[in-house]
Parts: sequence; C-alpha cells; structure tokens
Amino acid sequence: MKVAVMGADELAPGEHRVVQVGRRSIGIFRVGDEYHALADHCPHQGGPLCRGRAAPLAVAGAPGEVALDPDRVFVACPWHGWEYDVTTGRSYFGPGEAPVRSYATEVVAVDPATGRVAGPYVADTYAVTVEDRVVVVDTAARRPTDPEETA
Amino acid sequence: MSAGGAVDADTHVAPASLADLVPYLPAYWRDYVEGAALRLDPTQAGAYPPGAATVPAPADVETLRTQVLDAPAPGGTPVDVAVLSATSAFDVSRNPYYDAALCRALNDWVTATFLDHDPRLRGSIAVPSGDPEAAVEEIDRRAGDPRFVQVMLPVRGHDHRYGHRRFLPVFEAIAEHDLVVGLHAWGRAGSAATTTGFTHTYLQDYLAQGQIAQGQLTSLVVEGVLGRLPALRVVVAECGFSWLPPLLWRLDKEWKGIWREVPWVTRPPSEYLREQVRLTSTPAHLPADPDELVEALEILDPASLVLYAGDHPHVHGDGTERLLAALGPADRAAVLGGTARTFLLDRGSPARPPRTRSSTTPHRREEAPR
Repeated sequence: MKVAVMGADELAPGEHRVVQVGRRSIGIFRVGDEYHALADHCPHQGGPLCRGRAAPLAVAGAPGEVALDPDRVFVACPWHGWEYDVTTGRSYFGPGEAPVRSYATEVVAVDPATGRVAGPYVADTYAVTVEDRVVVVDTAARRPTDPEETA
Repeated sequence: MSAGGAVDADTHVAPASLADLVPYLPAYWRDYVEGAALRLDPTQAGAYPPGAATVPAPADVETLRTQVLDAPAPGGTPVDVAVLSATSAFDVSRNPYYDAALCRALNDWVTATFLDHDPRLRGSIAVPSGDPEAAVEEIDRRAGDPRFVQVMLPVRGHDHRYGHRRFLPVFEAIAEHDLVVGLHAWGRAGSAATTTGFTHTYLQDYLAQGQIAQGQLTSLVVEGVLGRLPALRVVVAECGFSWLPPLLWRLDKEWKGIWREVPWVTRPPSEYLREQVRLTSTPAHLPADPDELVEALEILDPASLVLYAGDHPHVHGDGTERLLAALGPADRAAVLGGTARTFLLDRGSPARPPRTRSSTTPHRREEAPR
C-alpha cells in the first residue's frame, strides 16, 4: 500500500521525522535529496528507534583526520544506542556479540567505506518515492539493496 | 639455536655504577657527571629497593651466564635466547641532552659488555623517551645491529600517554626497522603513578605498573597508533598480564557507544590489542586455587599472549612457575619460546614495506568540508 506521508520540502537534508501510517510508526529520513523510511522499531529490544539522533557517519583517514560523510546517515536508538544505516537498516556493531574471551576467527565481509563488519540487526525499511514533491512510502516492508545481503 | 629452547623475554642487566658507562660518554658529559657528582641509582628511584630479596642485575657477561643463560627456565628447558632489559636510564635526569648521551652510552655498554660476548643475547635499545626526536636518532643509530630486537620505553612515561601524536615518530621508526616496542615497568618518578596522583606506599607503586600499562595500551589503540601502524608490535614487560581480558571487554563495550570520538578505530579495540600486543609472564598475578587458575588461563589464552620472562634478578613469587606447570605441552612451548620467536625475535622478516615518517611538527588539520 502506498501512502503519501509528507511534502518533500518539509525535511531539510539531514533531517528526519516520525510519521504515523495506520498502526505503523515510520521514520522518514532525508539524506541529501534522497528519502529513506525505517520502521520505528529497534530490532535489538523494540525501542522507538527513529526517535533517536540521526547523524552522518564519522570517518577518519588517519587519527585526527576526521570528517563527516553526509551521504551515510545513521540513526541511534534512544534506548541502548544501537545505530542503523538509514538507507539499509543495517547495524554494524557487535557482530556475533561474542564475549571477548572466545577468540574464534573467521573471514567476514568488511564495508569498504568504513572497514566495519555487519552486525546482527537489520531494521525494517520501506520503499520511498517522491511524486510531485510528495514523499510516498510503500508500507510493504522490503529488504533493499544492502551490500551485506548480497555479499 | 634449537627451536625447542626457551626465550627469556625480559632479563635485566645494569651497570654497577656510573663508572661503567663513563668510557662510553663523550668528554663533555664525562666532565658533567664528574663535576655534578652524578650517580646511576641502582634502585631506579625506589623501583627495586636495595633491601628487597634480590641481587644486583648482572653487570658482566660471566655473571649473566651463571645466573640466567646457563640456568634453565622453570621445568628444565634450557634458555636459547635472552632479551636484555637495561632500564638504568629510565629516570636519571631531566636534562634531555644528558638523557640522550646516557642512553647512547648505555647501549654501547650493553653491546660491548654482553652482545659481543654471547650469541644467545639480544638487546633492547634505550632511548631518551622524553625527547622523541632524539629517541628516533638513537633508534636509527642502533637499528642496523640485528642483535637489538626492541626499543625500551618506560611504562611510566611522561605527562602524555604514548598514543599522543608527539610520540608517533618514535613508533614509526620502530615499525620501520621491524623492531618491537618494549613497554617496561617503572619509569619517570616525576609523573604520577596513578590517574589520581602520586602513590604513598611502595605497595601501591608496585601494583600501579599493571594499571599504568592498561592506560598506555588504551592510549595506543584509542589514539590510533596501532591502527595506523599495523606492523607495530608491543611487548609489555614486568607489568603482569592477567588484567587484560577485563580491559578488553570494557574497551570494546564503550567503543560501541563512543566510537564517533575516535572514528579511526574501525574495529573493536580488542582486535588490535590481541594482534599487536604480547605480555611477559613475570610477574604473573594468577589465582591460587587450581580450578580458578584453569578458568583464568582459559580466558587468557596464554599461548598466544604471554612470553616467558625470568625477569632476573627481580623476585615476584612463583606465578610464572605455576603458569607453566598448568599448561599443556604445546601451550607451554609457545609461552616458553614459540610466540617470542615470531613476535619478538623475528626481525627483518621480508616484505615489510618502507614507511613514510611523519614530521615532528605539531599536528592539526581542519576537518574536511561537510
């Protein structure tokens, strides 16, 4: 079902807002001129994920050489701080959540942009289109093109 | 050398007095030490009290042979290789030029007194740790001698932890020459031994070595030295090792929440430390209860983490003996020498790419435009 949720200009780049679509609570994120939608539900323990802070990824070519990547925005769940890429719903921290004492090694896919490894959680995402400057969310949950999924 | 013998990763030598080093000092500094009646404190400002149950560190190779090289490691394994720790210059002077001259003389003395006389010996380069530029000079001067395998830094350093940008040239030089950082107990008594200030008893000072080591390792990984120099290897000597797992658990946990402050740390901190850091066995702070000891060793995985060290002449109890006795044959062989052979002794392994060194100029870059 496609639902018009807001005007495209209601969000500035980098902003996000939670909208109610029937029984669903959905976070709409504007990254540059693209829009993304995430279920307002943290896969970790069910917290209101999209009420959390959204921020561009912090990156560093070397210690001290810090910058923000405005094209990669993460939202942090206000309950425990789990962070999710708003484009893919992917979380990156704590892959396996193994205690440090087990030193098993394995070869895992590493995000080439950040050097990070995919974590255990993926938040639900929805397809978003902009039609006549109106943001339209398709509430049929999808798994978009997540590089971790296809790797 | 046989592949089965022990590697003693930390055994001490020390000049009996400053007179031993005078022949290696330039004329100006000979005059300086005579005019000021300087001494070389054999107790290192109280690190090893003269009344402790110990003997002076060997000052000649015959004594070293008798007390260390020709005495087997616990369990009877003969010592094939011993890495000399000469820490006499850790805290002698606040004159950086004298400090540099003394370290140079100490390295000459170690070479002429020990390394030239027994093929089982390896050396640690003493450097003026408060002056990174002079330290790099001394590293460059000694690096051509393959008998030097590590660079000795006092774990109790200066007002800045070693992860600070000012020390980067030192670590770059160490990595470039395929040497190892030897982060050894004790150091500058002028800097506080704990995060809350100076200690009031020797017991606190003694205990603080492991606590300071935790601070230095945290600094090296959080401030990005280990990530920036993936070939850099660090041996923490005489600071214990059983404190490591709780530190790693806590570091990884907090990193997940506070990573934005240090975005160059792209992997859990424990991964860098597990790959790039080893710790010597003496002193071993281990549970007395045999069942608890087994549990502790399961968590620690000593075979990949711990290097045997006799730490002669310092007496720390029977922890290392109990550690070795509790291990199976393969793990015991790894702790006694196997891990040290690849991690500490294997200099000049092929295909380590040459590195471009950072300048010692202050480091400040603007954040990239958003």
